[in-house]
Amino acid sequence: MKIFINLVVATLKDLARDRMAIFWFILFPILFIFLFGMIFSGGAGNVNFDLGIVVEEQGIFAETFIASLKQSEVFTIYQGSLDAELEALAGRRRNAVLALPQVQLGPQFSSGDQPSEVIVPVYYDASSQANKVPLFMLGEIFNHVERGIQNRPRIFAIDARPVQSEALSDIDYLLPGILAMALMQLGLFGSLRLVYLRERKVLKSLGATPLPRVQIVFSEIVIRLLMAAIQTSLIILIGHFVFDVQIVGSWWQVLATVLFGAFVFVSIGYMLVTFAKTEESGNGIIQVVQFPMMFLSGIFFQLEFLPPFLAPVVKAIPLTYLGDLLRSVLIGMPYAFGLATDLLVLGGWLIISLILTIRFWRWE
Amino acid sequence: MRGSEIVASITVRGLTKRYGNLTAVNNISFTVEAGEIFGMLGPNGAGKTTTVEILVGLRVADAGEIKVLGFNPTTEGRQLKSSIGVQLQMPALFPRLTVEEALKLNASFYPDPFPVEQVLEWVGLRELRRVLTYKLSGGQRQRLVVGMAMISNSQILFLDEPTTGLDPQARHNLWEIIQELQQMGKTIFLTTHYMEEAQHLCDRVAIIDHGSIIVLGTPQQLIGDHFQEKAIELSAVESDDETILQQLPGVTRVQKVDSQITLYSTEVEATLRELIQLEKEQQLTVAGLAIRQASLEDVFLKLTGRSIRP
Ligand SMILES: Nc1ncnc2c1ncn2[C@@H]1O[C@H](COP(=O)(O)OP(=O)(O)O)[C@@H](O)[C@H]1O
Ligand SMILES: [Mg+2]
Repeated sequence: MKIFINLVVATLKDLARDRMAIFWFILFPILFIFLFGMIFSGGAGNVNFDLGIVVEEQGIFAETFIASLKQSEVFTIYQGSLDAELEALAGRRRNAVLALPQVQLGPQFSSGDQPSEVIVPVYYDASSQANKVPLFMLGEIFNHVERGIQNRPRIFAIDARPVQSEALSDIDYLLPGILAMALMQLGLFGSLRLVYLRERKVLKSLGATPLPRVQIVFSEIVIRLLMAAIQTSLIILIGHFVFDVQIVGSWWQVLATVLFGAFVFVSIGYMLVTFAKTEESGNGIIQVVQFPMMFLSGIFFQLEFLPPFLAPVVKAIPLTYLGDLLRSVLIGMPYAFGLATDLLVLGGWLIISLILTIRFWRWE
Repeated sequence: MRGSEIVASITVRGLTKRYGNLTAVNNISFTVEAGEIFGMLGPNGAGKTTTVEILVGLRVADAGEIKVLGFNPTTEGRQLKSSIGVQLQMPALFPRLTVEEALKLNASFYPDPFPVEQVLEWVGLRELRRVLTYKLSGGQRQRLVVGMAMISNSQILFLDEPTTGLDPQARHNLWEIIQELQQMGKTIFLTTHYMEEAQHLCDRVAIIDHGSIIVLGTPQQLIGDHFQEKAIELSAVESDDETILQQLPGVTRVQKVDSQITLYSTEVEATLRELIQLEKEQQLTVAGLAIRQASLEDVFLKLTGRSIRP
């Protein structure tokens, strides 16, 4: 273990003194987030959510509901007829319109029968990703209000009805994407160092010492994970303080996700460069893989906008799932595939690439 | 310390290594006793590096029985490597570690290393301890990699051409350190293509050419076995008939490499007297002349017909 720590420290020193590499390591995520941030930040700083409410029948439920909404500073409440509110939505004066249905709150609920769910239609502009977060809040408020009135589990379910769709994204959606991309590049390109060490005969030279060779690989991986944590912090801090992105996940959830993602891509990187004789050819292989992956994975735009024939490709790309995972953990977007699927697919890639690497990697 | 001389540190029997059609090492056998400095002398491409790398477990032999400190380098490399220090011929370093950090890192791999200070002193890199390794000159770098092997404080030290690229001063310094290590009871296996080095430093020398050991013994034995004569070196010889040199009194052999002719003579005085006579008679002209003891270089020349230097 002492040898291992010495090796990690030595490798860190060796890397940290490469000024050029450090420069890019720090600048790359900053550059990206500012670039995308500038382009897409319209509305991101807008914490106000204009909500139109159509009340079909006044009553205790509607009153309680609207009162609790008004407590939240996020929502500005408008009331009107369905037609008027939808028009306001189309004119972008509302972020969403919610139609409160007639609800009979009476003795029949306490009779013990399970009431059928009451559907609450919510109309919103699907092109703005910023809308999705407040929609969750709405759901939570429903639950809360429901319980307050009924003292029983949920009755309402949100039925989100998108009314508009444009190829637009914003910084909330992009931040997890940028992070996913950074982790992918860190992992994939990070694997090149082992090829470099092999090409330059550093591995061979260390092979003449009692140092077990796998420790070199482990130390490389540990260092990549450390770098991933640093880059993540950079990206999140800038996203939060400059572009006002709200992170919903706890730090340990974020860290665990990031380390897992970085590990998956380091291992995919090793698999890719297994057959590369030189650092240069390894670099070529990784470029060829990472470039399409970046654009087909939906980390920068939503998957619905890609032509359908690409769907199988998109669904095979591990970055797609890391993006999905990060979007959920960071900004609380709903999973497109589900947590289990994301973990399963990424874990599958991890195991397969590890097996292939161990099977085919050559030390010389 | 040298009481344990009977113990063999390295035994090699029938070692053969091929690269495709090329037989780089061809059925060589030797033993290295504990506490001796054993040299493998040969020109570039003779198979020295291949041999070293097989002995330290970096390459696998095609045939042969090898034991280093009782270990089979191929199957017991892990145990072996803690007991040997290795300087490869073209070792690579982490480019952005300092001299001192590189030594410390290597030291940390071994159970009982020498202090970094001592090694810095040995290889004369004290002043350069904070210099990044990629900024070192060829000679400085060579001294560092030798130091990185020495710091292991291990029983056997493998040095593959340790003095290549060093200036004469640094070379002589290194010879002294190697002898000091021998005094401490270390066994040293080194390769070289400098015959002075083999002659000066090694207790026994194996001369290797085209993958085969052509002779093995102490430098004195090797020279004595092949030459009772002294060598007279003539440079820039011009003559219509060089065979007259063969007829000079005392001359047993004439060896010609380019314009350099070496006469091996049992009666140097008589040979010289006649040579001067020939020059007076203008049968030949000689630009330079030197007399020396026969050396391992001469042995190599006699056995292979070629000079050891490229
Ligand atoms: N990896 C290799 N593949 C093919 N040929 C090699 C390899 N390494 C060495 N050789 C060849 O084997 C011969 C012996 O090389 P080497 O052991 O390096 O000699 P030396 O160290 O005495 O200069 C040379 O002809 C060299 O070209
Ligand atoms: Mg060599």
